[in-house]
Amino acid sequence: MARLSRAWSGDDAHGAIRVVRPASGRWESLALLLAALAIIASVTGYVLLRAQHAGPPTPLSWQVRSFDGLGAVDQAIHSALLPAGEEIIWNNNDTGGWITLTRAQDILLPPFYRDAFWKTNGEVHWQLILPGTHLPHAGSVDDHDDADVPPDPSPSDVSQATQGQGATVYYGSGGHAPGQSAYLLVIGHAHAGVMWANQATIWVHRDPNAPYPGIVKPESLVGSGWRQVIPYDGASEVERVKGNQP
Amino acid sequence: MTVSTRHRALWRRCLALLVLIPAIALAGPTAPLDKKLKIGVTLHPYYSFVANIVGDRAEVVALIPAQANPHNYQPQPDDITRAMTLDALVVNGIGHDEWAFQIVKAAGRGATLPIIQANASVALIPIGGDQDGAKVVNPHTFVSTTAAIQQVFEITRRLGELDPQNAAAYRQNALAYAARIRALRAGFMTRFAALDLSSFRCATTHAGYDYMMQEFGLFVSAVIEPRHGVAPTARQLANTLDAIKKANVRVLFAEKNFSLDLAKPIEAATGVKVFALSHITGTAYSADEFEVAMRENLETLAEAVEFTQR
Repeated sequence: MARLSRAWSGDDAHGAIRVVRPASGRWESLALLLAALAIIASVTGYVLLRAQHAGPPTPLSWQVRSFDGLGAVDQAIHSALLPAGEEIIWNNNDTGGWITLTRAQDILLPPFYRDAFWKTNGEVHWQLILPGTHLPHAGSVDDHDDADVPPDPSPSDVSQATQGQGATVYYGSGGHAPGQSAYLLVIGHAHAGVMWANQATIWVHRDPNAPYPGIVKPESLVGSGWRQVIPYDGASEVERVKGNQP
Repeated sequence: MTVSTRHRALWRRCLALLVLIPAIALAGPTAPLDKKLKIGVTLHPYYSFVANIVGDRAEVVALIPAQANPHNYQPQPDDITRAMTLDALVVNGIGHDEWAFQIVKAAGRGATLPIIQANASVALIPIGGDQDGAKVVNPHTFVSTTAAIQQVFEITRRLGELDPQNAAAYRQNALAYAARIRALRAGFMTRFAALDLSSFRCATTHAGYDYMMQEFGLFVSAVIEPRHGVAPTARQLANTLDAIKKANVRVLFAEKNFSLDLAKPIEAATGVKVFALSHITGTAYSADEFEVAMRENLETLAEAVEFTQR
């Protein structure tokens, strides 16, 4: 605390003018300035160095985000493929089999089920490619007529392509909605040792008539122009807004 | 005391100890094997989802009263009491039930209550219309059938992890429920199949229906609210009216259980016909509420599309 100095700078006998100097000289101003600078430096350092909340995944060059990277039709088909993939995997866990496209019609499973959704989203031609088997077989191919649809892969090609990969693939092509892609729902199988064990990944190709890629390993798909769809899901949104949740 | 007497006393003590050890072990705080989980839910659709997944194998507890409006809900003491007894809580998590986290925190369960994010694996889509060029997440994933099924599967998966004994039953129930929801949708798809959807243009007062529209290949041209639950300014409303006229919108979807104050002037200014859709907020929680509300929504949507074909 500053104390009154004994030094009187004026000689006014009546005490009309007095200059009071702090006992500590003029260090208060400097100390205040230094303190302010220290606070500014601390706040700046905290802002720059604080732990950042992880945001949604940034797509790599061979990936595309469902939220803002797909057109409306692709987005709708992707949204339908996600629960379909889950149901297909559960069905496989329970029965050991795969939901054929005939069965998908029976259980009204979009996007394979041919309803108004299928119609307005380009009437995509779907095929089921089983791991290491001679396909297409009965029930594994949509049998509607469409001249633009690329020819089905021959059974020997399919067998060769999926041999040892353990992946089951639902391949959609020939859609005629403007800007539409071709689609792959790739379901990895745990015992086959593929990278997406027991889970589904979805890929799109800009050419709606892109041929079946043959090998469905990621490096091969990327090489032939397929892009993996990264869903911007609720978990990503929660992480973006709040950081990690319990 | 003789040696034999001492031995008898020792034997008695050992015998008593042998009897007491299992008794003490049995008296421990072990949970009974048939204990039902108490699963909390924040919104009406989640009550229906969880009730159909668990059947009678768990108890479903609504965190807040049925009549409450989730958009502006203020937590009450009873909510906190309920949160204290839960084994898990199912939330939307992306914009409708922020108050749930306040309740959980106030109940002291922030670190112990498993939160099931129903939307964790749902592919989110942006709000339709022009949002000033921005892509804003639409949190109304439950006003749909496909995204609803995805949430049912996500909840089922998480409940199976928390309650492995009933996981298989939950999954079977979820698949049966999903099949019912798909059948509901398929009925309306047949009706839509005969209609020309290419020229359908609509506006909505609330950005709640993009997921449902997406399932039918329909899109929202304009949304009146600039942000979720925010009323537009005069200028924003004027811009939206212009957009409605330019896009040749003939249908405006308003909220069924909310005021039509905003919709009526727009109807008068643009000539659009107003239809009311449900946000699936009712006055009572029930297992079939979601299906009932979605059937009504799909019926309204079909009527609106048919209106534009006349």
